[in-house]
Amino acid sequence: MKRSVALAALVAGCAGVPDIPPPPGAPVEDRIARPAPPASENVAVLSLVQNARADSGAGRLANAGATLERALRIEPRNPRLWQELARVRLKQGEFAQAESVAVRSNSWAGADAALRAENWRLIAESREARGDTVGARDALDTASRMAQ
Amino acid sequence: MRPGRLLWWAMLLVLLPAAAYTLYLDWRVRDEFEGRRFSLPARIYARPLELHAGLRLPAAALEQELRDLGYRASPLDAEWGWYTRNGDSFDIAVRAFMFWDGPQPARRLRVSVDGGTVAALRDAQGANLDLARLEPLLIGGIYPANNEDRVLVRLNDVPKHLVDALIAIEDRKYFSHAGFDPRAIARALYSMVSGKGIQGGSTLTQQLVKNFFLTRERTLSRKLTELVMAVLLEMHFDKQEILETYLNEIYLGQDRDRAVHGIGLAAQYYFGKPIQDVSVAEGALLVALVKGPAVYDPRRHPERALERRNLVLREMRELGSLDVAQYSRARAEKLLVNPGPGRGTSPHPAFLQLVHTQLRRDYADADLRSEGLRIFTTLDPRAQRAAERAVAGRLAQFDRDKRFGDAGLEGAAVVTDPQSGEVQALVGGRDPRYRGFNRALDAARPVGSLLKPAIYLTALAEPSRYTLVTPLDDGPFVWSSRGAPDWIPENYDKEYHGEVPLRMALALSYNAASARLGTTLGVQRVLDNVKRLGVERPVQPFASSLLGAVSFSPLEVAQMYQTIASGGFRTPLRAIREVTTQEGQPLKRYPLAVEQAFAAEPIYLLTFAMQDVVREGTARSLRNWLPPETAVAAKTGTTDEQRDAWFAGFTGGRLGIVWVGYDDNRAAQLTGAGAALPIWGEMMAALDPEPLAVPRPDGVELVSIDPANGLRGGLLCPGTIEVPFIKGSAPEARSPCTGAIDSAIQAVEPALGRAKSWLDRLLGR
Repeated sequence: MKRSVALAALVAGCAGVPDIPPPPGAPVEDRIARPAPPASENVAVLSLVQNARADSGAGRLANAGATLERALRIEPRNPRLWQELARVRLKQGEFAQAESVAVRSNSWAGADAALRAENWRLIAESREARGDTVGARDALDTASRMAQ
Repeated sequence: MRPGRLLWWAMLLVLLPAAAYTLYLDWRVRDEFEGRRFSLPARIYARPLELHAGLRLPAAALEQELRDLGYRASPLDAEWGWYTRNGDSFDIAVRAFMFWDGPQPARRLRVSVDGGTVAALRDAQGANLDLARLEPLLIGGIYPANNEDRVLVRLNDVPKHLVDALIAIEDRKYFSHAGFDPRAIARALYSMVSGKGIQGGSTLTQQLVKNFFLTRERTLSRKLTELVMAVLLEMHFDKQEILETYLNEIYLGQDRDRAVHGIGLAAQYYFGKPIQDVSVAEGALLVALVKGPAVYDPRRHPERALERRNLVLREMRELGSLDVAQYSRARAEKLLVNPGPGRGTSPHPAFLQLVHTQLRRDYADADLRSEGLRIFTTLDPRAQRAAERAVAGRLAQFDRDKRFGDAGLEGAAVVTDPQSGEVQALVGGRDPRYRGFNRALDAARPVGSLLKPAIYLTALAEPSRYTLVTPLDDGPFVWSSRGAPDWIPENYDKEYHGEVPLRMALALSYNAASARLGTTLGVQRVLDNVKRLGVERPVQPFASSLLGAVSFSPLEVAQMYQTIASGGFRTPLRAIREVTTQEGQPLKRYPLAVEQAFAAEPIYLLTFAMQDVVREGTARSLRNWLPPETAVAAKTGTTDEQRDAWFAGFTGGRLGIVWVGYDDNRAAQLTGAGAALPIWGEMMAALDPEPLAVPRPDGVELVSIDPANGLRGGLLCPGTIEVPFIKGSAPEARSPCTGAIDSAIQAVEPALGRAKSWLDRLLGR
């Protein structure tokens, strides 16, 4: 029973996000809405990321950070892990660290424009939270340039 | 006055002070015993080994880790803490452990290693596991006075046979007497009167009083005080409380400088198991030790220990605590103790000093020595061992060969993770067990050429003026400043080299070119960048500082190079991850923090030049330890009169700093490449280094350069190399060799054209 529910959810998930490139004229949101690729190919890292997300969702932010650091020790060059950590720092109210960690993520992001755009959105959020409205707008501009 | 009244007064004169003294003792007994909490040392753990498929971990390293953890190499039924190895496959019964983020139950693991990498990780049923942690290695503690160490136990957890053994040999009437045993005292008095001195006759209560409240002297008055206090103790506390305290207090052995107290720690120290699991024979041995842990030391005097253990068993049998079968089984058991020697207060005192220093910022020293805090550190036992071996082994060899002068050369090493800033290993001298002067932390020595990367970084951050191929003048250089003698830096080979490309001036560590570059850029600007790289220590703004006439500790140098190794992101070096209470309640985390100190582009160029140091510069001999594919980025350092040798470098996974010199700072024949590089190379080679592959930042492009002139080269130019440039800064001009090719192509083109028309005609087009 449980399995069939999970399967249904999986199928529904697939149906909701067709695995074909959007037509050239499609609005940008469609392209952004595509699910992010998995955080890692490594199952150990993936399970740590899942734990970290569960911790973060439950408000256990210090634990989430510690778990992401464990994942980063396995894959220190994985920009998605740095991005996850930036998100946790943002939730923790560590805005300066959130920005720095997002910048660190960008340094490993290579040509992944979607990932970079998301990092710039995180940077914008952390600047906004620190009262740097101008800086936040700049970061958002960069984010939307990246997303195109 | 009547004689009767006189007597009365006399009695009062004696009794009043006696009563007052008794009242005072009563107050002490209640106050101290009630308020008494055993001081528990902070326990310090290494990083736990995290196993997962794909982990680079040779089978030998896994086995070493298990042995360090005290795992036995044979299966024991229904117990944890053992492993079996079959080729490169391991079956491990992992012990339970209370981690910072919660408890982890004991479990069985199957690990197979293939070619130095974990190939599969499974549970006992053969199902794949994503990840599994071994418990971390206990690497020491921060101890109370006298280095007393103990693991507290509750009376309920102590096997009954152990209590029976104690009662049988030390105090048979314990559960019935009032704190003292009149007959035993009579015996003791007799032996004293007959000239054998005061001995024996102490109940457990008296022994506890003696250990708790009194000195070790053996006088009659002290003995009386002990007796009174014992009676008072029994009046205020019940037998169970007194017994439990006794079991936790009793001194049962000496592990180097660490005093083993209480049966909880003794069970761990001698048998490597918790008190609950101690067998009858083992319990009897622990009780045998009460009389004299040194005299009956089972490691040093096994016959004596065995004899006394069997005496304990005999007494137990006599009292009926053991039946015949139990007795004969226990007697037949061999003396099985963990092989010594123990670890003392720590096998890695230098690293512990770093941990202690960082802890003292957040905790009172008294709390560290008494609250039983659990400290989870970043020490990687494998890296630590490799560093200790390389430092001790190489220095001993230098001594034997009289390579750099007299014996007594010293060294220090620091190994960190460039991404997280975690300190994995720290060596404070050639004797890693020595707990005194820690050169890695406290020896500030001139850094020599290790400062040069700061000069070149300052230059490369200005792409309009400097690139990796910008020619620098390595002619004679004189720096005059008012009120100071002229500064004329010489090159190591005492020669000047004319014009050299910037990257080669760094790779070959030319002093004249570097001093000229640094002073042109501005001494203060360069030193500001040293600070931005992470060195907090103030540096005097003298030109000679540019060539390293400033003194840093190896740890400070590690912080400076950390920022380069992590792509310009400054990460404070950390030795601690987490702190919990003794029950495992999280107290504090020391989270990873990063801050971008330099743009990625100039750091990328600097790293390239530091790879040139190894490819074709002063650290070429590193190829004797690591293959060129490792692509190490490094810098050698040698100071005036060759007093100090340094090597700083990083691979893909580790940053290492090595210093070699004499403590008295004498002139020697030390060079970075000759004395420090071999230690660094040996240390890193033992750790299966990951190649260094820095991602090329957006703002950097690779351009073919003719090394002969620093101009654009071409495919056919001899020796052309790819050099990174910040976009827009690469030279426009082409090397003459490309011109030769161009003209060759022009010469060939008409012929090609003729051939084409001939072909066309042939095909009828």
